[in-house]
Amino acid sequence: MASIAARRLGKELKEIHSEGCPVGINLVKADDFETWWFTIEVMGESEYKGEVYTLQFRFDGQYPISSPAVQFVITDGRQAPIHPHVYSNGHICASILGNEWSPVLSVTAVCVTLQSMLASCKKKERPADNDRYVRHAPDNPKKTQFHYDDDTV
Amino acid sequence: MKVTIKHWHAVAQWRWDTGKSEPNSDDSEGDVCGICRVPFEGCCPTCKMPGDDCPLIWGECTHIFHMHCLLKWLGTAASKQQCPMDRRTWGMPTKFSLVAVPC
Repeated sequence: MASIAARRLGKELKEIHSEGCPVGINLVKADDFETWWFTIEVMGESEYKGEVYTLQFRFDGQYPISSPAVQFVITDGRQAPIHPHVYSNGHICASILGNEWSPVLSVTAVCVTLQSMLASCKKKERPADNDRYVRHAPDNPKKTQFHYDDDTV
Repeated sequence: MKVTIKHWHAVAQWRWDTGKSEPNSDDSEGDVCGICRVPFEGCCPTCKMPGDDCPLIWGECTHIFHMHCLLKWLGTAASKQQCPMDRRTWGMPTKFSLVAVPC
């Protein structure tokens, strides 16, 4: 693991431990600088009231120059939220995880963005191409070229 | 009483003159590189010594980063040559002067 990612993630983890996560986000496990898990919950009134989801972050040695691979966890009885941008295999179509990633973003900033993506959802439904995508999806969502064609949700 | 100075050490401090607030103000985000989160006066993760060998770079948009951090970002296709802060095309100001000043 190159030091650039370890140093930056070390700082982020220290900040999470000293200041805590944003409301509705909780750190589950961050034992190394390769994979972290968080729970995410939408606060207040929303389609997802009372539902808790688990997010997985995978980092390569070039983080934050290279974006983290972020997805919802769907093992051990956990499910991905039903949302027009979330596939049933946990992959998320969100521009900040793809072509709008910026190295000034952070793990908690991504969590908050995904939280508000859920919060603003009006209708719980899977993406139209869910079955086709899930059948051929790579293990790592970063290998998918998503088209970001909907700014409304 | 007569004092004889036998030995003395000069101590100096420096910081980059970013044209921004006081060095120790509470503007916590303002004094670190947004990419590596290390203070400007420290060095980027690939350097060992801060100072002239690990300088800052200042964009037209007025955002500042460690030069090495920014160049690493601009060297990726994903950057689209944009500033990480505001996604404007990265450009160097025509009048570029960033010097370390004693404080």
